[in-house]
Amino acid sequence: MSVLDNLLIASLCLIPASWLLANWFTGRVLLTVAYAALLYVLIDLPYEGLVSSSFQPQVLGQQMLWQMDAFGSFFAMLTVAAAFFSSWYASGSWAASFADKGGSLKLLYAALALNVFFMLLLITAADFMSLFISWELVSWSGVLLMLLGGRDTVAPAIKYIAYVFAGGMAVLAAVILLAVWTGNLSFFAVAAAIGDLSSAQLWTVTLLFFAGFAVKMGLLPFHLWQAPAYAMTAGPASVFLSAMSARMGLLAIIVVLMRVFGIEFLDKLQVINQWLSLRDLLAWLAALTIILPTYTALRQNDARLLLAWHGIGQGGYMLLGLLMLDSLGTAGGLMHVFNYALYQAALVMSVFAIMKQTGTTDLNRLGGLVARMPLTFLVMLVCIIGLAGLPPMNGFVSKWMIYRALVNEGMPMLFVASVIGTLGTILSVYKLLHNSFLGQLRAEHQHISEVSWSMMLPMLLLAALVLLTGMMPGLVLEWIAAAQIAAGFEPVQYTLGGVMVVNAAVSGDLDMLWVSGILFAGFAVGAVLFLSAGKSKRVHQLDNYAGGHFLTADNQYHYSDNFYAGLMNIIKPWYRGSFIWFEKGLVSFVDLLASFAGRFYSLNQTTGWMVAFSVIFSSWLIFF
Amino acid sequence: MTVSIGELIIELLLMPLVAFVVGLFMVLLMRKTGARLQRRVGPPLLQPLYDIIKLHSKRTQVSHGLIHDIGIVMAVGGYVAAETLLPVPGMNGIAEKGGLITLLYMMMIPSLGLALGVGQCANPNGSIGISRALTAMLAYDIPFVIVMFAIAWHFSSTNLVEIVSIQQAGGFSSWGAVQMPLLALAGLFTLQGMLGKQPFEVYVAPAEIATGPMVEMGGKYLGGLFVMQCFQLYTASVLYVTLFLGGGENWLMLLIKAFAVLLIPFSIAFLFPRFRTEDLVRLMWKWPVMLALLGLLIMSAR
Amino acid sequence: MTDFPVKVQNRSSGNIFTNVFDELIRFARSRSLFMLHYCTGCGAIELPPAMTSRFDMERLGIQPMVTPRQADILLITGYVSVKTLKRIILTYEQMGSPKYVIGICSCTVNGGMYWQSYATAKKLNDYMPVDLYIAGCMPRPEAVISGLQQLMDKIKDGQANSWEDYYRRYDYYLGNQQRLFGDDWQTPTDIIGEAHHYGLFDEGTEGAHTELLKLHQHPLEPLGMTLNAHKIKQD
Repeated sequence: MSVLDNLLIASLCLIPASWLLANWFTGRVLLTVAYAALLYVLIDLPYEGLVSSSFQPQVLGQQMLWQMDAFGSFFAMLTVAAAFFSSWYASGSWAASFADKGGSLKLLYAALALNVFFMLLLITAADFMSLFISWELVSWSGVLLMLLGGRDTVAPAIKYIAYVFAGGMAVLAAVILLAVWTGNLSFFAVAAAIGDLSSAQLWTVTLLFFAGFAVKMGLLPFHLWQAPAYAMTAGPASVFLSAMSARMGLLAIIVVLMRVFGIEFLDKLQVINQWLSLRDLLAWLAALTIILPTYTALRQNDARLLLAWHGIGQGGYMLLGLLMLDSLGTAGGLMHVFNYALYQAALVMSVFAIMKQTGTTDLNRLGGLVARMPLTFLVMLVCIIGLAGLPPMNGFVSKWMIYRALVNEGMPMLFVASVIGTLGTILSVYKLLHNSFLGQLRAEHQHISEVSWSMMLPMLLLAALVLLTGMMPGLVLEWIAAAQIAAGFEPVQYTLGGVMVVNAAVSGDLDMLWVSGILFAGFAVGAVLFLSAGKSKRVHQLDNYAGGHFLTADNQYHYSDNFYAGLMNIIKPWYRGSFIWFEKGLVSFVDLLASFAGRFYSLNQTTGWMVAFSVIFSSWLIFF
Repeated sequence: MTVSIGELIIELLLMPLVAFVVGLFMVLLMRKTGARLQRRVGPPLLQPLYDIIKLHSKRTQVSHGLIHDIGIVMAVGGYVAAETLLPVPGMNGIAEKGGLITLLYMMMIPSLGLALGVGQCANPNGSIGISRALTAMLAYDIPFVIVMFAIAWHFSSTNLVEIVSIQQAGGFSSWGAVQMPLLALAGLFTLQGMLGKQPFEVYVAPAEIATGPMVEMGGKYLGGLFVMQCFQLYTASVLYVTLFLGGGENWLMLLIKAFAVLLIPFSIAFLFPRFRTEDLVRLMWKWPVMLALLGLLIMSAR
Repeated sequence: MTDFPVKVQNRSSGNIFTNVFDELIRFARSRSLFMLHYCTGCGAIELPPAMTSRFDMERLGIQPMVTPRQADILLITGYVSVKTLKRIILTYEQMGSPKYVIGICSCTVNGGMYWQSYATAKKLNDYMPVDLYIAGCMPRPEAVISGLQQLMDKIKDGQANSWEDYYRRYDYYLGNQQRLFGDDWQTPTDIIGEAHHYGLFDEGTEGAHTELLKLHQHPLEPLGMTLNAHKIKQD
């Protein structure tokens, strides 16, 4: 019984344990401790080499295999950590208020454990059959987490099921085709045989796999399901979904397209000969995924939807970094997975904390909460600096690496696209912070208090980690370098404080210890100058400049609606709902096909027509 | 070239101080240029210093809360830190530990601090000012990023010390402005936007939104913003000189070049009224971007 | 232009710079004055010429600022109607000390040509302390600048401390304001708290009129950051 077996069995046992223990406070604490123990075991797993599971059944003549290496353990650690923080957040007062409103804690915790187990299966899958089975299991268990929020969640969950079902069918088709063409479904066999496939075969398989995985990852144009599905569900479920669920798609893309098919594979497939390879096409899709959802987030008035749209955009950064295929870019992409999980989890937690205390996340109905929920404000401030990618937080380091990789590879438009994404993020998260925490405190919110420590401590710990890994990125880069080596990329040259760029077209290093240190020293100088100039007198928020007008408490003296009016006047006409139109077009196309099929099956001589079609299709496949 | 830790500490202390003093004279240049264009005399030599001393010595320092205070500290402190990333003749500071990209992002921290402080002031004029400032930043940063990429690609480095040394080794013909004139022109547009000078002065707009972010700032808060303005003028002009005009071989040349660069936006500023936010965004996304892309195309074709 | 005798008391202000560089501070204050660009009456027409190219106030260090928080000088230019006086008092209280009030035009001195009107306030002194009057209807820009130069000299000599008088004799000023506006007159500023803050609380700060104010005033404590606001007593 190897370590991996123990891990998987422990994770499996957590499912019935969660169902049984979730209704008691002690039980929830025990479950949180169990996730922490699981995390501890994962951190201690050996990095070098492979850890295999001893459960290796033979199905239909194919050997199913599960293995964990440094690359897989990186993702596994993030998954278990996300579950740990969600479970901690949900354990105390949040659970009490959720149960009061009629929610099922058993379902929440069991769904969480189910998701963790299936994700571990997916991460450690070492052949295509187990990959497909665990892929389907992960997709379906995600639905359980999405249905926890009540009636609002049903429609988004159904949309998710439709998308992910179609994606799963695409993956199944690709796996079947691979089985037919290469005979053996293990990763090693397929990797060896991939060179023998013809161009049309390669294109079919690649596109099918990519479509299937891109749906789960939320890549353009398959992203429309993600924001409402992740946003409308219950707090801790949303935390887990936002932090890790979409990364499963990214993991699958890396494993299948880059590790199994080979890293140079993407360059060899050309869309327009010598001009546009598949890698360039995917990089542009990733860049568009960065820009368009970020500006959709800018227009949102519900804080949860705003964050969920940012989640889609940040996925684009990860894929873009990984598509650069050099040490800096892939390290940047992987580190962005880590960073993003940390600060997105904390941000979602803080938004749901606001929801719990005030009952709303509508940005036009909040304001001035910093005076009543200062610690939540601190968490949100640290994490939006991380999300925007500004020093000294960790988001800056991963984005710096992605930018430098783009500069090194000489891709100006992609570089501009990723910076546009960052600028849009800065605008959007400032609106989030300003409308909820800054500005005038409403009369109805004068007497709300901060959330309890069981919700506050996980948020504070995550924010502290965001700052710590920003100041000392070497701590994370150690794991990432190991993951890169295991995945077959060139590892990044790192120090405790940052990155050294060697053998690249454009030189220039980064040392975050110095940068953060000088930033805090600068703040100290500013503080000295500030404090030596006389004592401040605090004034009431109604003692404010209003052109000589006398403000009273019933004046809504807060600018929140249509926060970026000037920009929106220019951008709004461009968003003519083109993606909704695309989605509607797809739906009506499938409808048309279905009606054809329906009429076809009521024809005479159906058998003859079916034989004819099958013969034509199979001969195309076999001979081209 | 390696420096000892003692020299480094002295450099880190001196660079912001020098930036502040030079910045004071740049503010004076701005006011004198405006005055001479309007055919009047303008303020005396040490006027910016008197303003800052007076503001910091006010008995009343009205504060709207802790975040208001922290915001101003961040606004000043962020620039103090950013000055150490900008190499000047004789002092490199920590410019090699983080390059052009780090400097650009470090310059966004003071704006964020200001935005936080203004947010807590609970005045809609301030919030509108910040929303306009952020929109303007989005507008001018797009051509600026294209320019930045072109610079990094042309000099094969994002390390500012290397960029300066390459230009100085090659003489006048290797200056950024001579090798990439279209990009230097796009950079001037961006400079005008970055300094917030007419016609791109949407975020201050005294007649529309009561000076925007400065609406509830008095005393040392306004004094901090005046200090921030000194740093901002210095950083923007010295960065432009470093990227396009060969840096400074010695302090005299650097100052002459920086003041000459600043004369351009200052002169244009006093001749123009203010654009609407939409018109600013549209302009910045059209002409400087086209110029920069054309320059990039020419550079890649070479 | 007559000098009004205003009681000046020198007290230390607890600011490191002021204690050490007193002269320098007064000099800087005199050479850098921000006037509030709030034109109250018809005399404001004389300000643009004083600001622009012909007479150029900026060479004296005076520039216009938009909000009371940023400004040092409040220029009452012209007649003060009762409605305007309410806003002027609010604006004056929102300005940061040290602040100076200059009454330009004869209407602020003794009512000017509206001395018989029911709708104007006749003597500005009654409602807020004034540093300098510049009589005229209207005074020319040269007179305005000459007055400002006199103010600058007074500031340099440390004699322009009328703002302290507002805190020391708040009851008297409040009484005059209540007589004109009614008993429920209030502003969102907390003058008595500020008097304590600056150490200017005197026997004239509180009295019968401030008692009347306390009956009508809305609570004005600034919002402090707290984790447990649900424990604060409901009011």
